[in-house]
Amino acid sequence: MSSETHADPTAGDTEPILTVENLQTAFYTDRETIRAVDSISFDVKRGETVGIVGESGSGKSVTARSIMGLIDSPGRIMPGSSIKFQGQELTELSDAEYRSVRGSGIGMVFQDPQQSLNPVYTVGNQIRESLKINRGITGEEAVEEATDLLEAVGIPDAKRRLDEYPHQFSGGMRQRAVIAMMLACDPDFLICDEPTTALDVTIQAQILDLLKDLQEERNLSILFITHDMGVIADIADRVNVMYAGQIVEQAPVEELFANPKHPYTRALIDSIPGEHSRKEGLETIEGEVPTPNEPADHCRFAPRCPKAFDACENVPPQHVSVSDEHDHTAACLLYPEDLTESHRVEKHLSLANDDTEGDT
Amino acid sequence: MSETTSKSIREDLTQRDELSLYTRIANNPRPFFKWAVPMLVLIAVEFPTYAGVAFGMLDAVVIGVTGLLDAAIGLVSSGLSQTIRDAQYAVVGVLRDAGGFVDGLPTLFSREVIPNQGYQTGPNGPWEGTFLGLEPAYAWALRATLIFAYALFTAYWVFRGWLVYRDHYREADWTPTDDIVDNLSNHQWGKFGIFVLILFLTMAVFGSALGPTTVEQNIQSPYSERINYFNEDTGEVDQVFPGDANFNSKSKGSAEFNVGPMSYDDYGRFHPFGTLTNGRDLFTFMMGGARITMIVSALAIGGAALIAAVFSMFSAYYSGRVDLTILTTADGVVSIPRLLLLILVSAVFANHWIGNVLNGGFLLAIIFAFTTWPFLWRAVRGPALQVAQEEWILAAKSYGQQPRTIMRKHMFPYIVGYLLVYASMSTGGIIIGLAALSFLGNGLGISPPTPAWGRAISMGQDYVSGPSWHISLLPGLMIVLLVTGLNALGDGIRDAIDPEAGGSAEGEEAAAGGGG
Repeated sequence: MSSETHADPTAGDTEPILTVENLQTAFYTDRETIRAVDSISFDVKRGETVGIVGESGSGKSVTARSIMGLIDSPGRIMPGSSIKFQGQELTELSDAEYRSVRGSGIGMVFQDPQQSLNPVYTVGNQIRESLKINRGITGEEAVEEATDLLEAVGIPDAKRRLDEYPHQFSGGMRQRAVIAMMLACDPDFLICDEPTTALDVTIQAQILDLLKDLQEERNLSILFITHDMGVIADIADRVNVMYAGQIVEQAPVEELFANPKHPYTRALIDSIPGEHSRKEGLETIEGEVPTPNEPADHCRFAPRCPKAFDACENVPPQHVSVSDEHDHTAACLLYPEDLTESHRVEKHLSLANDDTEGDT
Repeated sequence: MSETTSKSIREDLTQRDELSLYTRIANNPRPFFKWAVPMLVLIAVEFPTYAGVAFGMLDAVVIGVTGLLDAAIGLVSSGLSQTIRDAQYAVVGVLRDAGGFVDGLPTLFSREVIPNQGYQTGPNGPWEGTFLGLEPAYAWALRATLIFAYALFTAYWVFRGWLVYRDHYREADWTPTDDIVDNLSNHQWGKFGIFVLILFLTMAVFGSALGPTTVEQNIQSPYSERINYFNEDTGEVDQVFPGDANFNSKSKGSAEFNVGPMSYDDYGRFHPFGTLTNGRDLFTFMMGGARITMIVSALAIGGAALIAAVFSMFSAYYSGRVDLTILTTADGVVSIPRLLLLILVSAVFANHWIGNVLNGGFLLAIIFAFTTWPFLWRAVRGPALQVAQEEWILAAKSYGQQPRTIMRKHMFPYIVGYLLVYASMSTGGIIIGLAALSFLGNGLGISPPTPAWGRAISMGQDYVSGPSWHISLLPGLMIVLLVTGLNALGDGIRDAIDPEAGGSAEGEEAAAGGGG
């Protein structure tokens, strides 16, 4: 506890910079309502990296876009959702107010660097655009600043490359340029939506190192979204595992890999190629992520779960603490482990009822 | 210490960036002056013509815009609309004075410098009053050739200016425009389109100098001034009103009443395209018609393209309800029969002064713009939707860019190509529509006596199969040429903006043509 006294007051276990509570984002189509994000809660503290991991279609990107306020029709953030950024409730902001939060407050790096730069403008032009909007820097000063930023993200000969077009950059360079473009806003909080997915492994490692360095320099908070458990292990401090629009397990990164509790997390970790897979063949998870088009009155992973029992089909699992030492929760009817099956089911049921009563 | 060195290195490297275009030119003025001095000369020799066109267009725009404001505000407050009208009179007065002044200035290729209207002093005597005593036909041909050559060269020189800028003054080594220009310059069909467009723009701008006579003298007020001619009956030089001369130069489809193309009438007047049924000079008539046609179709297509661009970007950016509203509106507009609407509006505004702006052309331009935009919007909405899905739009949103700027900066460049393609192809439809209205006549189209192509065709329709075939055929061919040229231009642009065309002229699978 002595560390707290002389540490940077903005770092460590202070007020979270971002708190997401009961976030629900639904897409209304003619046929059905898709609950792409269904009642998730998590927070990100200053200077921390929080990971969100899950298969394709589990609602990771929708979470990111909900935080950015970039959910377009027919999608909608449901009432009762709360996204607090630096104490400010984002879900209540008007468009114009939201615009001032985007960029200078929260920046976002997208998956495909090929796509996030406009091919008809030079890289310098786009970085300067971002500088102009968020920091009012124009002219020569903007050129200087853009050069600094490109250098900061490790692009050699930055001056010359400002005048080049995105297609003249390699994939990794382009992602660096995108990061520079976001840093130009000087954000406090960066959302990285699978920023390394489109890159090959060596470049991935470079980008991850770059993000870590930048985080240290600028005391950035990062929400890192990926489907790659390896990447998550490398960069995140805490991890949220998402499945079909819900967070099924939350834990610090070492704890998660050491003691995965939720069957889904276990299955994910087992399906990482490694020593054991060489002998026994790679474990896989049968089936695919269901489309979350029904209310969450059951465990959505149950159909694919090796440990599912009857109650899984009828009882919505709630987050319960699964570790004494760590801040580790899982939403699974198998926990808390010390109770009998019927007691566990009852506990989850009563938690679920408390929750719905609290909402209304 | 290391910071200062890196800073100085950077300054070395940044030097190029810190220079404005002016300084870049000052550093290397030779290419600029080699281009700019001839350009200045080219502009100077015909400056009054350009200024005249500019004043004329400003005049029409001022009257048109204030007219619309007047009509709209007049519903609310008559005092305010009176103020607007007063302002309009003042501005138009100034513009007309300025226009009158530049009209009086000499130009190089004017009928004063190379006159073609003269008279013979004897049965086979020399020509008096023509350029160097040449026959009127040769004097006219010389002037017309010089004007077309001048216009083509000027157009080339303007393009050359861009090349000079690209090679000597532009900072970037390459921009996407380069590829488009290169593709277009390898595209023979597209170049034909550009050529045709320049040709007709030349007619619109230099129309009064191109004709063997003027619209004023031959068509609008043929009884204000007499011309000299050699009277074969009396063997003397007589004077006659052009109107009376016209009366005796009619093309009426019979051998005795016909002045065909490339021939003289009895008054020593040369008619490159022959005469109309009322004896007026068809070529002069066509040149006069070219100006009004080009202005009206440019206004119409410009307006339609503007509405289509804005709406398609709104559709794509906001989608959902906004898109649905625009879609419904567009479908509503499409369901209105254009011809009936034109007839209706022409009738309603028949006695309103706004119906007289540009001889009725302004109103037509508005209606054409109103009925054409849904087609352009539909064509451009697809590409706009595609761009709106791109991640860089999301990236721009995520760093807090304004919707307006996103649309203008990040979306517009992608749809402008499609817009150009469809606009140039739809212009053909507008030109044909315009001609059709004038063909129908009866208060539709451009009000007479201002020349309109369709009216010439209509006049000649009884004489198509006879000696006076030229009256309908030549204007018809000109319309076909212009519309074909515009379609060719559209094809050329379509292939040029398609990055997969790779310089080859084959683009069959790309967007199909519209309009026409």
